[in-house]
Amino acid sequence: MAVRLVAVALCGLAAVWFGIRVFRTRSMVRSALALLFAMAALGGLFLALEAEFLGVLQLMMMATEMAVMAIFMVMYMMDPGGLGQMEMTHQKRLARGAGALGGLGAAALAVGLALGGGWGPISAAAPSPAAQNHDLGIELMERSMMIFETAGVTILVAMVAATAVALGRRR
Amino acid sequence: MITLTVALLIGAALFGIGLYGALSQTNLVMIMMGIELMLGAALVNLVAFWRFLHPDVYAGQMFFLIVMTVMALEMAVGFGVATARFRAAGSVEMEEAAELQG
Repeated sequence: MAVRLVAVALCGLAAVWFGIRVFRTRSMVRSALALLFAMAALGGLFLALEAEFLGVLQLMMMATEMAVMAIFMVMYMMDPGGLGQMEMTHQKRLARGAGALGGLGAAALAVGLALGGGWGPISAAAPSPAAQNHDLGIELMERSMMIFETAGVTILVAMVAATAVALGRRR
Repeated sequence: MITLTVALLIGAALFGIGLYGALSQTNLVMIMMGIELMLGAALVNLVAFWRFLHPDVYAGQMFFLIVMTVMALEMAVGFGVATARFRAAGSVEMEEAAELQG
């Protein structure tokens, strides 16, 4: 229990730290790497929460996604290395206020519900990884099949739409 | 209870950071990074709720997969728009895209 709490806290703090670093550097490549590390720390957090399949999925998917993102950044940024010290922020006060309000509001809700006992009974044990994989497979193929299929079709539509948008008009 | 609260606090912090990034950045790719962080916060909450409240119900993990799909779609469509914008204007700076306000 204590080990899990320490692991969750460490991975979570790492994710928050790298999340802050994403917007604290002028180098876009560093930003992409910081986001990659933040997402990897979230993968570790999921593993610490005994969601093994989701943790590994997060690690694999985010590593690929951030690699693609880094390529796009180098392609499209005028100053991907941040050497020109370009200012790339605006409406900072509004953003800080909204971020603080959103974060503190969600934190206050979590702490308030925990103190008030609003979550109900807390489960001590999670199913084994093998049982999780089996039961998630059953969930995907039975009760949530329509949702799963809809997600697949949505991915296909987004792929076609993104390609069509990116190709633009041809003469 | 403590671990659940810690996980939710981490999610809240990530959400706040992501919201700050999405609102403060002028570059389309950086705005997408902020949105990714907010969706990451949602993932943390989903896993924490599944683990500590209903580990025997797999709708929570299913919801996780849907949010992860949304993250991938956001990236795909976002980069499609970025490519179109870069071709049209030579930049993905949103400060220079006032005509997209509608």
